[in-house]
This record gives sequence, C-alpha cells and structure tokens, in this order.
Amino acid sequence: MEGQSSIDHLFRHHYGKMVSILTRIFGLQHLETIEDAVQDTFVKAALSWRNHPPDNPEAWLTKAAKNRVLDLFRQIKSTKGREHIVGSSSEAMLITELFLDTEIEDSQLRMIFTSCHPKLQVTDQIAFALRTISGFSSKEIASALLTKEGTIKKRLTRARKVIKEQQISFKIPVGNALPKRLHSVLTVLYLMFNEGFHSNKQDILIRKDLCGEAMRLCQLLLKNERVRNSDTYALFALMCFHSARLESKLTTKNEIVDLKNQDRSLWYLPLIKLGNDCMFKAVEASIFSVYHYEAAIASEHLKALSFEKTNWKKIDELYKQLYNLNPSPMILLNRAMVKLQLHEFTAAYRILNELSVSDFNQRAYLYYGAWAEYHLEKEQIGLALIQIEEALKHVKNSAEKNYLLKKKKAVIIKTSN
Amino acid sequence: MKKFMLIFTGTSYEDLGFSPEEMQNRMDRWFTWHEKMSAEGIIHSGEALHDSITRISGPDRVTTDNVAIESKELIGGYYVVSAADLDGAKKIAQDFPDYDLDSSVEIREVMEFDN
Repeated sequence: MEGQSSIDHLFRHHYGKMVSILTRIFGLQHLETIEDAVQDTFVKAALSWRNHPPDNPEAWLTKAAKNRVLDLFRQIKSTKGREHIVGSSSEAMLITELFLDTEIEDSQLRMIFTSCHPKLQVTDQIAFALRTISGFSSKEIASALLTKEGTIKKRLTRARKVIKEQQISFKIPVGNALPKRLHSVLTVLYLMFNEGFHSNKQDILIRKDLCGEAMRLCQLLLKNERVRNSDTYALFALMCFHSARLESKLTTKNEIVDLKNQDRSLWYLPLIKLGNDCMFKAVEASIFSVYHYEAAIASEHLKALSFEKTNWKKIDELYKQLYNLNPSPMILLNRAMVKLQLHEFTAAYRILNELSVSDFNQRAYLYYGAWAEYHLEKEQIGLALIQIEEALKHVKNSAEKNYLLKKKKAVIIKTSN
Repeated sequence: MKKFMLIFTGTSYEDLGFSPEEMQNRMDRWFTWHEKMSAEGIIHSGEALHDSITRISGPDRVTTDNVAIESKELIGGYYVVSAADLDGAKKIAQDFPDYDLDSSVEIREVMEFDN
C-alpha cells in the first residue's frame, strides 16, 4: 500500500464474497457461524494492517478466507448435517477452485437468489441481502431503510429461521423456476435502489451506498449468461440513468433540486452512456417490462438539453404504457404532471380528480403538491397556495419541507410584484 | 533524537461491533497515520496486540489466564518512534485515529544507556 489508502468498499465487498464462498462449502445451516468467522477476519485484518499495511490487501484477505475454511472445518466437524459438496479426498483442490473469480461470482449469485426466495417476506429479503451480500450492519441497514435497528434485527432473525427451517438450498434455480425467481431478485434490487435514490431522508453517503450496492448486484446478474434477461438489462439501464443525476438532485446543503432546476452539466456522462448500451440490449426483447418503460422515461429526460426541450409527448406515451403494466397511483400522478407540461389542462385535471389523497399514504404531500402545480399553471395563485399549505401539513422530512417552503415563497414574491 | 513509546489503550475493536465498512474506514485512518510517519522515517517498531491477557504475579508465580480488566484500559498496541523531545512526541500522537472511540495514547520516553 504505497502512499494510498485501501480500495473503496474493499471490506464490504469482500465480506459478501467470503460469506458466499463459505456458505457454498459448508451450507446455509452454518450461516451464523460463517458470518461470525468472516467478521473476525476483518477485525484481525484491521489490527494487523495498522502497523504493517499489506502490499496487496485483496490477496491478504483471500488467503485469510482460505484459512477460515480450514478453521471452520474443524469447528463444524462435530455438528451434523454438513452438505458434502466438498469431498474429503480432494478438498484442497476444490477449495482452490471455489476461489476462482468465476466461482466467487457464482457463489454470490447463489446468495442473491437465496435472499430472494419466495418463502421470505420482501422486507426480510432486502435486509437479508444487504446483510449477507453487502455486509451492512443492522444499524447501517436501519438507517438505509429508515427503520429501527430492532426491526432490522427481527427481520434478519426471521429470514435466517425460515432458511433453516425450510431447508432452503444454496442454488440458482433452474428451468421454469429461474425466470420467476429472477423476477423477485429484480424487484428487490429495484426497491434497494429506489430506497437510495428517492428517499430524501438519509444523508447522501448512505444513499450512494445503497444505489451502488443495487448496481453492483445487478451487474453480477448481467455477467452471467444463464441468468440475465432483457429485464435485467433494462433495470440496470434505469439505475445508470438515475444515478447519473444523483449528484445534481441535492445541493451540498442537502436541499432538493427539482428536475426543472437541476444543473444538467453535472449529469454524469459515462453512466448515461453505459445505460444507453444496456438499453440497446434490453429492447431486443419482444415483451417489455416496467423497467423498460421506466428506463425509457428516464432516458428521455436525460436526452433533453433543457427542461423546456423535453419531449413530453413521448414521455406521456411511455407513462401510458407503464400504467398499463403497473396501474399505480404514483404513475398516474406523474402522468398528470406531464399533461401539464403539454398544456393539456383538462386531461391533467381529469387524472388528478381520479386520484385521492388516501392513495398516497406517507406521500400525501406529493398529491397536494401536484394540485398546487396544476393551479399554478392555471394561474390560480390562491388555490395553489392552499394546496401548498396542505402539502406542508403532510410533509415529514426537512429537505422536502424546505423545498415546499421555498416554492411558497417564490409564489408569493411572484404575485406581489 | 530520542525514542518514545506510544501505547494505545481503549476498547477492543472486537467489542465495538463494527461493520466491514466501518472497520475499513477505521483502518484507512491508521494507514494515513502510518504512511505519514513512514514518510518521515520515524517509526522504529509497532505491533497490535491480542485481547486476551495472561498475568503471572507474586513470589508464587501465580498464573491468571483471561485477566478481566476495565475494557477501556485494554492495551491494544504500540509504536516506538523518534522525536526530538516530548513535545515532538505529543505532536506525533495528535494523529492517533481512535480518540473519538474514547481511546487514549500514553507517551513514555525510552531510556537510552551509555555503554
């Protein structure tokens, strides 16, 4: 390590690799022992590296992981029920093979598919994936998913219990089961990513971590020919497009910048390009998923040189298709906003009238915010202000509240001039 | 130049329950410090120590394994470094990365003998 600090997220990523390989060797029923052992390796590494930084930290950790295998053999020998995937005659050779890059990736994929097993609840799936594949602590998961640490601990315990009791095997499903399971894997990655991208409550670092992890895992899926499909490409494209403007969404003071006012020069081109490449692969399919349409919408926004030059007509059409696949109030609300941009006020009014605040639960402020936008476009300032007040009553976090207050101020200043 | 031993005491990393990411952030801070001192060429030696303590004491050489002590008092490691004087050693110790964990540095001058 000459004159540089260690590789970004090396420990986090290595944690997932080690847990996955060891689980492949020893079986899911030993998961807790394995996690403890891996955790212990990092404590040792941190202490040993303090005074003697290694030349190649990755090689050091891999060697440590191999040593762990031998420790665990001794530790687990007495307990029953070990999956004999490693025969005693050629153990050493097989272990070497399992540490090849392709096999490491295979092990990690098995872990991803395990965490999305239909026997687990969706909320537990996300927590379990973040824990075992991404090495997040309960505390980190809690702050990433905006829940209490105790809740996360319960979810993890429940997931581990189900895996043990149902004797879920550590495999990538085959045949008809594969597309079905892949579907839930993509859902989990999509939720993980959205948690990072859309929630304005956490600090920017944890949000980037979440988005980064979702993208890394999605890339793992894409690397595997047997697993990947056009939906996977579309989802990854969507993540690239969104990530490209993560920086421009928030100011350094944690203020929200809406699409209209984002500095488009901050958008990160390499990610947009990568997203485009994936989109080309994604559209080879004959049937499009929600990810296809969401990615296409995101891509339209990125293509526009300015907010005013956005191709709203096309986006409107894409929202229509998306709504057919996923009839959610949120999509309808977005469509109403697009209708406003197209100056189709009657259409916007009709859509907004169809919706009710109860469709939005925690996000009621978005509903009122949309009405405010409608009235502003119609230059009904009084009505707009009433809706902004309503939105302010329902908003929970400070970044969103400040955004609304700023908007209110702008409206008042504009009308008094 | 004089030699000083910097002795680190505090809660064991093992007991702090860091996630891999937090552990790495911790370690990166130690790297930075180590690199700075290496560049200045002032490190003589340094090691990290295991947590378990065995103590032998008294005329009967009574051995106690797993000595229990206040966890914050645990010696976790040391460096022996060169400095012009105590003030120089104090300055070096400013960069110790674990003050925020309530850990502390004890500075002791190494005795030099004429022969």
